[in-house]
Amino acid sequence: MRHIPEEELHAYLDQGLSRSQCVEIESHLAVCPFCQSARDGIAALRDRTTALLARLAPPRGFPPAFEVLRRRAALEASARRRRTHRAAWAASLVAALGLGWTANYLMMSRPTGPVVVTRPAITETSTPPAVAPAVLRSQAQTTTSTKPLARRTQPARRPPVARRQPAPTPVESLPVVPAPTLELTSINVPPADFDLEFDGMWRTLSWDGAQAEAGDKLPHIDGLPVVQVQLQAGKPGKQPLMVVAQQLASGEVIRTIEGPTNDVSQLLARRAMSDPEGRPASRSDSSRSRRAQDHPETMAMQRGDRMLVITGALPPDSLLAMIRRLNAEMRSK
Amino acid sequence: MDDPAGGSRPGALGAPVMDELEQLYQTTYTAVVRFLYRKVWDAERAEDLAQEVFVRALTHRPEKPRAWVFAVAANLARDEARAAVRRKRHLTLLKGDPVAQPTIEPAPDSVVEHDERIAAVHEALRTLTARDREILLLWDAGLSYPEIADHTGLALGAVGTTLARARRRLVEAHDRQHAIKGSHAAHS
Repeated sequence: MRHIPEEELHAYLDQGLSRSQCVEIESHLAVCPFCQSARDGIAALRDRTTALLARLAPPRGFPPAFEVLRRRAALEASARRRRTHRAAWAASLVAALGLGWTANYLMMSRPTGPVVVTRPAITETSTPPAVAPAVLRSQAQTTTSTKPLARRTQPARRPPVARRQPAPTPVESLPVVPAPTLELTSINVPPADFDLEFDGMWRTLSWDGAQAEAGDKLPHIDGLPVVQVQLQAGKPGKQPLMVVAQQLASGEVIRTIEGPTNDVSQLLARRAMSDPEGRPASRSDSSRSRRAQDHPETMAMQRGDRMLVITGALPPDSLLAMIRRLNAEMRSK
Repeated sequence: MDDPAGGSRPGALGAPVMDELEQLYQTTYTAVVRFLYRKVWDAERAEDLAQEVFVRALTHRPEKPRAWVFAVAANLARDEARAAVRRKRHLTLLKGDPVAQPTIEPAPDSVVEHDERIAAVHEALRTLTARDREILLLWDAGLSYPEIADHTGLALGAVGTTLARARRRLVEAHDRQHAIKGSHAAHS
């Protein structure tokens, strides 16, 4: 007679066998004293194990109501959505800026619509850029010194603060640019750095005056009213450091900064400084605005020895959504 | 998922219907805490982790929630153990500073005996292999053989074999310690 293996008796007592296996074991146990004894021994071992492990129980606590966990899960899900939204927004903004900057850089003869983005940077040298911490580099520096002078002759384009251009071009309809490999990133700047310090020889100019001085190279986002333009003269023959403040429909202000990498990096690195012309009207508008001011976004990209940065309190929706909205507004006028 | 946190849906008569996870919480929370406690050896931490497990279950809504809950609990306990090792290393580095030791009141005999009994089981459990210990604790937490097989990747038929070995070794290790302690007491 074949006796029941030990592990099967364990499984039998643990109710880990199928019904048919149980029937088979029970019919054997009924006629086999050896297996009955083995079963009793395993049952005792099983009980002993349970008793030993019971000593390792924690002191009995009071579990929180399930509703408490439900609320916690809802809060965490909400926070996760906000983080995802924020990351998506930052990615779209950087992508749009990169596309606009690169497209303008590579395709200077193409007239641009009112939607996108910054004007190209003038690069007077092909010297490799100085290293700026936390800013990733463009790897397409071969284009940097090819057509700078030709671009100077481009007619200046006026931002919509005074005149809006008809027939806007949506950003998604831009032609496919033979895109260089770009590495773009947001950079962490302490909150106090949002208030840029404008020390040195800074001048606040009108849009027309700034264009007369800097040509059409003023960095700005088309479709947004310009609040302020400030220039800091660089070395003779070198494009100045430019800061253009623009106001979103929500009242919040963003700044687009373009200039030599070192100068832009230093400007961002200064702390706890105030805007020389006073704070934009939007700054105390709403608690939402204040919250955004506490955590301004700062994104940068670099090409050659020039850097383009956008910083400021920004709405949580994506730049593309904002551009589409502006287009729709302009079409309706 | 419309409501990742879930929510009690009203039944036909307007009374809230307890969803599957809530039922699982009511029936399994204590077992999950016990399971975690035997891995992290800190009652409060075990409760925190158990709650974290159920919060995650509310977010993920797993298909097999019972097995899922124990799988996540095991993962959290593993992470916790790694973090504890890191903390220990850090404390070892800081240990050079002399620290005033608090005066320890001698505990009553009954408390000492109780602590020793717990320590003996703890020690016996430590002598098991990680696989044997895991399966024994999962079984003690109330998981069925198929759930244990799912969780550990063992074949269903191997669960009984492993459990048989783990039980035997646990009891043998415990009895061995008991015998050693008894002989020490007899000599002193």
